[in-house]
Amino acid sequence: MSHSLYAAFVDGAVKGWKVATQNMLPNVVLAFAFISLLQTSGLLDAVGRLCAPVMNLFGLPGESVTVLISTWFSAGGGVGAAAGLYSHGIMNADHVSIIMPAIFLMGAQIQYAGRILGVAGVSPRHYPALYAIGLLNSALAMLTMKLFFV
Amino acid sequence: MTDAPLSPAADSAALSWKAYAALVLTILFFSGAFADAPGALRCLDFSLLSGSFGRIAEEFTFLGRGGSGARYGFLFALSLVPGIMPALSVVEAAERMDALRAGQKLLTPLMRPLLGLPGSAALALISSLQSSDAGAAMTRSLADQGLITEKEKNLFAAFQFCSASSVTVYLSMGTALFPFLSVPHLLPLGVILFYKVAGTNLMRLYLHLVEKKELRHVP
Repeated sequence: MSHSLYAAFVDGAVKGWKVATQNMLPNVVLAFAFISLLQTSGLLDAVGRLCAPVMNLFGLPGESVTVLISTWFSAGGGVGAAAGLYSHGIMNADHVSIIMPAIFLMGAQIQYAGRILGVAGVSPRHYPALYAIGLLNSALAMLTMKLFFV
Repeated sequence: MTDAPLSPAADSAALSWKAYAALVLTILFFSGAFADAPGALRCLDFSLLSGSFGRIAEEFTFLGRGGSGARYGFLFALSLVPGIMPALSVVEAAERMDALRAGQKLLTPLMRPLLGLPGSAALALISSLQSSDAGAAMTRSLADQGLITEKEKNLFAAFQFCSASSVTVYLSMGTALFPFLSVPHLLPLGVILFYKVAGTNLMRLYLHLVEKKELRHVP
């Protein structure tokens, strides 16, 4: 293996370490703490019951709406919330598979509005349409997973 | 992600077969296609290379059982780090072997029919799958240089805004959920890419309607 290719592997591992420790880990830790808070306070149950009719359309338990809410702020939060609900036995492997594409399709819209739309110079009058497309894509992707793959 | 965008200057250089091989191999590596391969071929499987933790008391990993809250979340997140590091290693090495440019070459003729974008945007598009910041900056410069129109810029933004840096984010954050999936690991990424394209075309329709409406308002 050439030296530069080896260096690339190492560079990638360093990048992985940074993403893992700076983006993923804090999000997951907070999501787990937050899920505990929601569950102990009874809020998770309440949110679950409230959202069950909508989430059931996608073959998901009502509580999984917390994954979608978290991911809207940061994809790491969404991933953490899903892992947390899985570890509490509220979501199963089929549920995680259904929601997986949505976590990313509507992931971190809040952050990316600045980092992508702002940088590229998109006129703010198009923002509502762009947000809506992300949400619609997520819904369709969940249905696709439910109907064809799970 | 703040990695440097691919250099557009390198665009004209010829690509060797190695770049395409790297692209195909990378996709196969993450797809799990080699998970049950016979003999030595299995060493090309991502889950094999990221390995597994030893068992404590012959039953549990160091995560133990019955943990909860932030402490459990911390150990869980820590257990994911060794998976994320080789994943991004392979992506980085694939990039160094020109796999992204191979992807760009393959994509160029599809840009117009699939997304309504000129072929010259293929490099920015491939980059945006790896780094949202690089993609956004390259989009801005394409627009500033007049290589894409205002409408194409908005269209392109729609592609990038939905699941930004798809590949990198999926292979880092997403790996956290790989053990809990009941479908092949790369399948949801395929669904994501499909809807990114579908969403872009929805934006195309929206921009078309907006344009029509504006024309009607001009006396």
